[in-house]
Amino acid sequence: MIALTIDAIIAIGIVWLALQTVRGANVFSAIIMFIVFGLIMSLAWARLHAPDLALAEAAIGAGITGALLLVTWRRVHVLEGRTPQVGMAARSLWLTLPTALAAALLIASLGWVALTLPAEPATAGELAWQRLPEMGVSNPVTGVLLGFRAYDTLLEMAVLLAAWLGARVVASELRPGALPGPAHEEVPLVGALLSLVVPISLLVAVYLLQAGGSAPGGAFQGGAVLAAGGVLLCLTGRLESADQTSLIERIVLILGLAVFSSVGLMMLPLGEPMLAMPGVWAIYLIETALLLSIALTLVLLFAAAPGLRRSS
Amino acid sequence: MPSELLIGLIFLPLLGACLTVLPWRWSTRLGVFAGLVSLPVLLVALTLAVIREGAWYYSLGGWTAPLGIRLFVDPLALLMLWMVAIIGGVAAAHAWHDFRPGTPEGARFWPLWLLLTAAMNALFLSADLFNLYVCLELVTLAAIPLIAMAGTATSIRAAMRYLLLALLASLVYLLGVALLYNATGTLDLYLMTQTLAASDGPATSLAFALIAVGLLLKGAVFPLHVWLPNAHASAPGPVSAVLSALVVKTAVYLVYRLWLWTLPAEDPMQGAVELFAVLGAAALIYGGILALLQERLKLVIAYSTVAQLGYLLLVLPLASVTAWQAASYQLLSHGLAKAAMFLAAANILHAVGSDRLADLERLDQRTPLSLFALALGGVSIMGLPPSGGFLAKWLLLEAAWQEGRWLLLFVLVLGSLLAAGYVFRILAAALRRADPTEAEDAEGTSPIGRRQAGYALLLALLALLAGFGAAPILEVIDAGAPAGWSAP
Repeated sequence: MIALTIDAIIAIGIVWLALQTVRGANVFSAIIMFIVFGLIMSLAWARLHAPDLALAEAAIGAGITGALLLVTWRRVHVLEGRTPQVGMAARSLWLTLPTALAAALLIASLGWVALTLPAEPATAGELAWQRLPEMGVSNPVTGVLLGFRAYDTLLEMAVLLAAWLGARVVASELRPGALPGPAHEEVPLVGALLSLVVPISLLVAVYLLQAGGSAPGGAFQGGAVLAAGGVLLCLTGRLESADQTSLIERIVLILGLAVFSSVGLMMLPLGEPMLAMPGVWAIYLIETALLLSIALTLVLLFAAAPGLRRSS
Repeated sequence: MPSELLIGLIFLPLLGACLTVLPWRWSTRLGVFAGLVSLPVLLVALTLAVIREGAWYYSLGGWTAPLGIRLFVDPLALLMLWMVAIIGGVAAAHAWHDFRPGTPEGARFWPLWLLLTAAMNALFLSADLFNLYVCLELVTLAAIPLIAMAGTATSIRAAMRYLLLALLASLVYLLGVALLYNATGTLDLYLMTQTLAASDGPATSLAFALIAVGLLLKGAVFPLHVWLPNAHASAPGPVSAVLSALVVKTAVYLVYRLWLWTLPAEDPMQGAVELFAVLGAAALIYGGILALLQERLKLVIAYSTVAQLGYLLLVLPLASVTAWQAASYQLLSHGLAKAAMFLAAANILHAVGSDRLADLERLDQRTPLSLFALALGGVSIMGLPPSGGFLAKWLLLEAAWQEGRWLLLFVLVLGSLLAAGYVFRILAAALRRADPTEAEDAEGTSPIGRRQAGYALLLALLALLAGFGAAPILEVIDAGAPAGWSAP
């Protein structure tokens, strides 16, 4: 009964927050609603026994995406002196009504179809459970991401690299300027807080990476947590944008893709197939490289800068 | 040995992209060389292997499907890979001058270009629906910033519009994939067929409908083409060339794979091919008319892409070996001709400073080589003999005739007439004599201009040669016809 009540609250909350996000003209409150929406979504994943997804949703969906949206709002609001409003087109009934109807139709047919789906277990998922012991890790999500479907994860790292390269192209055309600094005089507690929170974000990131082998966690969640530490350093003015990407930054950006591909290719001369993992150590090596690339990419995207340096 | 070729086709450009991120000039040169020049060499070996052994699968990581991801190579994949290597290679050579390694523009351009190449190769080789989603995302996210590299406000706005619509398309596609996985328990394109034949729930129909909407949006098929003309017309020349010749074809390629390979012949969703044909016919006519009305050269060529994509969908209900040849040949010859036209248009834009048709008088004196390339590409687009485009359209007419599809026959002829209209309109504008003074030949006198024109001319000549050298190509392609299309 309690479980059902919690589920009902989450379900209603998700729909209500989604509605609050899309209606109304105020972009700022929409962003806040979106962040809360992400947090409730992560609760929903947890209720559905998908802790890995819950962690990813909280760290990336709510955390990093929320930070990106807020910093964009702040750039437009503070630097350009404009208060972003939802455009007139988005508020006209002639556009929103058909869009809403089409979306409702889609959701209704998806729901109807989901009810008619046979309840038999999915073959590939079953197989993954059976053959997980061969991987040397006991977390099935890590087994799929770094083992059975490692190729997908590898290409996703390429997608992340493309996202940064794309942001670099747009930034070089539009020159968004430096990140807006803190709005007021720094409170003495900021330094103390940072010296506590940033090391913790590193610790949590490494823990998530290490735990990923047997429990929920892994490079993507760990990378997002580490990136959160970096975002804090940017926000408090400890890190500032640089005009150039340093050599170390470039190496870290391609580290995930390069290490993953190299380990995958390594086994070819030995007659093994491409991307056959030589052992559990290889999985941890790759995940470490992925974590570093993910964290740096996310911080650079947040700063909308080619590189970062310590502020003088 | 042959399977290592597949790995090379994907991972050489991917690692090349990593190299070009590094700051040195030599690393960029090495990355481009390793990622692009190697492709034709690998493909020669791969072609020989496909002729010898036919199609085959390769399980990545040694995990067999449905657990793992498989690569699949067959004559259709081979054709697409060749197009990436040749068209992408020549366009890259054209881009080399504007985006030199060691310059800031070059540093931004080459990593994205190599990622785009790797992503297209990966897409044409993948046999897994979710992996194809990742490939589609990578293609989109690498292609869109390349449009913004033009640096104009129009190009950035067009890129942003493309990004938003492409993300919507990906999301819709992914919804369909999730439904299909739930209904069949596998993500493998070719394993799915057996399960699909056994089940006939509304889930699979909805899934295929969603996937179709996603792909038609990514493929800019009328009426979901709204993002294409501005995006393709405002990009830098070599980028426009690969966008029109290759990137939109990735979505059409997936429509072919899903409807001709994955979907069982008796599935009710096979009825969608008739809808595809109607959309194709509408695209052909609408794109042709809009191309006739444009005032700028690159927009004419971009709308021509909207129209020419129509042929690729018209083929679907015909289901004969002739139709199969027509589809493959249209993929090939449109790719070559359209890339040639965009490269030539970039040269003309560079020499004249504008691509408004009103400003293009006396091009036969100002940019004779590029104009020649543009005209040769146009010949193939119109379908005049002896070009590759002629062969494609002739085969298509023949296939429609065999099936007794008179309306289709009429649309095909109308489409070619419209194409002739917009190509001749460009030529008429280019050959006008506005004032009698003799103009200097901007291209012939500068070695760079001659070389840039040469790349456009090379692709245009290849499009023409495709008409002459058809027999060996068609022989390989015939072997890869989908089931049900091969038997006469």
